[in-house]
Amino acid sequence: MNWSHVKLIFHREVRDQLRDRRTMFTICILPLLLYPLMGMVMMQVAQFHREQHVSIGIFGNENWPSDSPLILESSDPSQIRWKTLTVDDAIGATLAQFHSVQAQTNSAVKNKSTQSYVVDGKAAEKLLRQVHCDAVIWVPPGYHNSISDNPLVILSNQRWERSQLAIRLLAEKLEGWHLSWIRTQLAWTELGTALVDPLAIRQLDVSPPEVKRALVWTKILPFVMLIWALTGAFYPAIDLCAGEKERGTLETLLCSPARRKEIVWGKLLTIMCFSVGTALLNLASMHTTTSIVMTQFSQLGATDMVASLGPLPLHSMGWLILLVIPISAMFSALALAVASLARSTKEGQYYLMPLLLVGMPLVMLPMIPGATLSPGTSVIPVTGAVLLSRALIDGEYGLALLHLPTVIAVTLFCCFLSKRWAIRQFESESVMFRDSERSSVAQWIRNFWRQREDTPTSNESIFCGLLILVSLFYGRLSMSGMPLSWTSVVQSTLFIQVGIILAPALIMATMLTRSVRKALRLHRPRPLEMLAAASLAVCLHPTYLAFAAAVGNEYKLGEQTTSMLMQFDSIVSSTPIWQVLLMLALIPAICEELVFRGFLFAGLQRNGGHLRAILVTAAFFGLSHGVLQQTITASVMGVMIGWIAYRSGGVASTIAFHATHNSISMILASCSSRGIHSPHWLSWAIEHSDGHLAYTSTWFTLSVGIAITLIAWFATRGFALSKPRTSIGMNNLREQRVTLSS
Amino acid sequence: MDFVQVQNLCKNYPDTALGEFKALDNVSFVAKAGEVFGLLGPNGAGKTTALRILATILRPSSGSVRIYNFDVSEQADLVRHSIGFVSNNTAIYDRMSAWELVEYFGRLYALPADRLYPRMEKIFRTLQMEEFRDCPGAKMSTGMKQKVSIARALIHDPPVLIFDEASLGLDVVVARALQSIVMDLRDQGKCIIYSTHIMREVERLCDHVAIIYKGKLIDTGTLEELADRHEQNDFEELFFQLLTKGDKGHFHTKPPIGLGMRTLNAPTFAQGSAP
Repeated sequence: MNWSHVKLIFHREVRDQLRDRRTMFTICILPLLLYPLMGMVMMQVAQFHREQHVSIGIFGNENWPSDSPLILESSDPSQIRWKTLTVDDAIGATLAQFHSVQAQTNSAVKNKSTQSYVVDGKAAEKLLRQVHCDAVIWVPPGYHNSISDNPLVILSNQRWERSQLAIRLLAEKLEGWHLSWIRTQLAWTELGTALVDPLAIRQLDVSPPEVKRALVWTKILPFVMLIWALTGAFYPAIDLCAGEKERGTLETLLCSPARRKEIVWGKLLTIMCFSVGTALLNLASMHTTTSIVMTQFSQLGATDMVASLGPLPLHSMGWLILLVIPISAMFSALALAVASLARSTKEGQYYLMPLLLVGMPLVMLPMIPGATLSPGTSVIPVTGAVLLSRALIDGEYGLALLHLPTVIAVTLFCCFLSKRWAIRQFESESVMFRDSERSSVAQWIRNFWRQREDTPTSNESIFCGLLILVSLFYGRLSMSGMPLSWTSVVQSTLFIQVGIILAPALIMATMLTRSVRKALRLHRPRPLEMLAAASLAVCLHPTYLAFAAAVGNEYKLGEQTTSMLMQFDSIVSSTPIWQVLLMLALIPAICEELVFRGFLFAGLQRNGGHLRAILVTAAFFGLSHGVLQQTITASVMGVMIGWIAYRSGGVASTIAFHATHNSISMILASCSSRGIHSPHWLSWAIEHSDGHLAYTSTWFTLSVGIAITLIAWFATRGFALSKPRTSIGMNNLREQRVTLSS
Repeated sequence: MDFVQVQNLCKNYPDTALGEFKALDNVSFVAKAGEVFGLLGPNGAGKTTALRILATILRPSSGSVRIYNFDVSEQADLVRHSIGFVSNNTAIYDRMSAWELVEYFGRLYALPADRLYPRMEKIFRTLQMEEFRDCPGAKMSTGMKQKVSIARALIHDPPVLIFDEASLGLDVVVARALQSIVMDLRDQGKCIIYSTHIMREVERLCDHVAIIYKGKLIDTGTLEELADRHEQNDFEELFFQLLTKGDKGHFHTKPPIGLGMRTLNAPTFAQGSAP
C-alpha cells in the first residue's frame, strides 16, 4: 500500500471538510455553542425552580391544636404559601364527601397523621380550582381534642406537577410537626424523648471528593462522547462517499493511481479525525461550561450539587480521550461502509439511521444501574470499552488491567472487520456503480425461475437466516413453557428443527436454486474426514464444557430457567437413551447443519467470502438458541464448525461433528441424572464428582493436544473448499449443568 | 502503434429484475496513437461501461483490454498512469480551486514538484484557465469545470485520453474549444477515445469510429469506409440506419480487429463534409 496516496487523500478530505460550513457547524461550532447555551438555560431553570412556590389551603385551621400550631411562617419552607380557608355554601357539598370518606376509611388511617384520598374527582378538582390551591388540607372539628381519632384529609390532584410538589412539602411539614408533637407528649412522661430517635447514625463517606465528583460524570461523559463520536463520523462519511458519488468526483478518484484500499484508508482517517475531534470538542466544551456553571451554583449555595457534579477531574479526561480513539475508529469504518451503499447524501442519511439505532443500545448498556466491567461485559463491543474507561476513571486500575486485553482485542477485531467491510464495499462494482433500482415485483417473479443459480445469493441466505430467527421467536412464544412429557419434547423438537429451521431453507433451496444438493452443500461423505470431525468433537468437548461453565458463571441462569431445566432433566432421565440421542442429538445436528452450514454458508461464501460465511453463520447459529448463555457458547462453537465446513467443503463432516458433540453432552447429562458412574476403563478420562460425571484433568490436557493436532490436519488437508457445519440443540442448556473438573 | 486493444470484451451486470444484464457483448476494436477513435451509440448502448473498463474503474467479465500494452485487469496501476479520463460529469470538487485540484491529482501521479508546477503553468496557459485558477469549483461555469477536468486528465501527460461525452451540456463556444483541444492532443500523437452521440462532433473529430448498440459492436471503420459500405454520405442518417438494422438484428459482422486501420492524418469523411 502506498501511504503517500493515503496521506494525500487524507489531507485533501480534511481540507475539504474544513471548508464545508455545514459540516463545520455541526461538528465544531455546535459543540462550542451548545453547552454554554444549555448552561445558561440550566441557570435560568434553576433560578425559576428556586422561586417556585405552591399554595396550600387549610380548612378548619381553628381546629388545630393551639399549643402547637401547624402554620409557622418563620420556620416553614419558603416555597409554601398558606391560605386559610373558610367553609362556605359553595364548597359545603364537596366537604360533605370528606365526611363520607372519613367514615369508610377511619380504621385504616387511624394511626396516620396524613393520608390522601380519592373522592369524586370532578368535585375535588373543582374545589381545588375554586380556592386556587395546589393542595387542600381539611382539619375536622374536634381535631385538637383527639388527633388520632380524627384523621386529616388532604386533597390534591396528582396530575398537576405543582400539586405533587405541594403534597411532598406538606408531608415533610406534617412529619416534622408529628415528631415535635410526640416529643412534647413524651416530655410529660417518664419515657423521655429518646423514644422518638432511638438510633443515632453518623454517616461517613470515605470516597475522596474528586472521585465522588467523577461518579456522575463517569456515567454521563462516555455516553455523550460516544454519541458525538458517532455523529462526528456520520456526516463526513455521507459526504465523503455518497456526496462524492453524487458529484461524480469518486469516479475520477477511482481511475487515479490511488488504489481502492488507499482511498478507503484516506477517507477512513478523515472520518475518524472528525469523529474524535467532535467528541473531544464536546468534552472540552462540556467541561468548561460545567466548571463555570458549578462555580455559579456554589456561589448561590447549591453545595450539594457542586459536590456531586463539580468539574471533571483532569485525569478522567485523559482516559476518555483514550477511549474515544478506538471507538471512533470502529464507528468511522462502519459509517464509511454503510455510506458507500448510498448513491446520494439523502439516501446516505437513510442508511446511517439504522447504524445509529444499532449503536445506541451498546452505548446505553453501561448506563444501566449496576453495570460493571466483567468477563461478560468486556466482550461486548463499545460497552466493554465504556466500562473500562469508567473503571479507569474510578481508579480501579486492577480491575481495568484484568479486562484490558479482552476489551482491546474485541475493539480491534471490530475495527478490523469494519475496515475490511468498507474496503470490500469500495471494491464492489455493484455498490460503487449501483443504478437506481426499479422495484418491479412482476418482473422479478417472471425472472424468478429462469435466473436461478446452483447456490443461493448472499442476500437470499441472510433473508433465510432472519426468517428463521423471527420464526423461532414467534414459535417459542406460541409454545407455552417447557414440555411436560417426552412426547411434547419430541413434538416441540420436530416443530422447531424441521418446521421452523429446516423447512424455510429447503423451500428456498428448491425454489431459488437449480441444485438443491449444491445449495445445501451436500456432498458424498468422506469417512476419514467425518471420523476426524467426530474425533475433534470428542476432543473439544472438555474445552467446550469449561467454556460453557465459565459463561454460566458470568451470566447466571434465572430461577425460572433453572427450574425449567430441572424439569427437562427429569423428563430426559426417564427416557430411553437411544430416543434421547435421536431426538436431541442427531435430528438437531442434521437440520441445523443443512441450514446454517449448508444453505446459509453456500450463499454467504460466494465470491470468496469464506470468513464472512463462517462468522455470519456462527452468529445466526448462536442466535437461534434462545437463551443468552447458549447464544454465546453456540456462536463460539459455530465459528469452529464453520471453519470445518469451509475446510471440508460440505455438511457431512459438520453433521458428524455436531451429532457427536450433542451425543456426548446428552450421554454425560443423562448418566449424571440417572446416577450412573463411568466404567472403570474410562476412569482415567471421566470421574464422578459432586453427583455429576466430569472430565479428569488428565483427559482435559490430552484432549487439547489431540484437538490441536486434528485442527492442523484439517488445515493442511486439501478438501474442496466448500463445507457444512453443525448445530447444538436443546441439550445445550443441559450441557452447562455438567460440571467439569480440570 | 496500437495504444488501445479491446478484444471480445464482455461485461455483465447482475440485475434484480432481469437477472443478468449484458452491458457489453463481445466488443472488439483497436485505437492507434495519433488518432481520435469515436465510440458511438445511443444512450444506454454500453459506451460508458466500455470506457469505465478502459479506465480500470470496472472489471471486464471476459475478454481482453490492453492500454499502452498494459492489461487493465492485471496491470491496473500501470494503466492508470497511462490514461487520462474525462467524463460527462465534470467531476470537480466544489470546495477546491482549479489550481488545487490539478495539483492534487498531479501529486497522486507522484509528479515531482520541479515537473509538476511548470506543467501546471503550461496547461493552465494552454487551456486559458489562468483567470479562474483560484476560483472554487462551486462557482465555476460548466465550461470552466470541463477545462479543469481536462487539465486534471492531462497533468501526467498520458499517452491515452478518454473523453466520455465530454461535450455534453457545453455551449457552442466551449464545445468548439474542446474540439480544438482534442485535435491538438491528436496532433501531439496521443490516442484519444472519444465517446459522443453528437454526429457533428464525430464528423469534425473522429478518424475512426465504432458504433455500439445494445452492448454489441454493430460496425466499425473510418467514416469513409462506413459511408462506402452503407452508401450513405450523411453520417447522422447512416448512424440512424445502423441502429435500425441493429434493432432487426442485421449487424455488420465483419471482424472488427484489423478493420479501418486508417493512415494517420488521412483525410476523413468528416473533414470532407464538414461545413
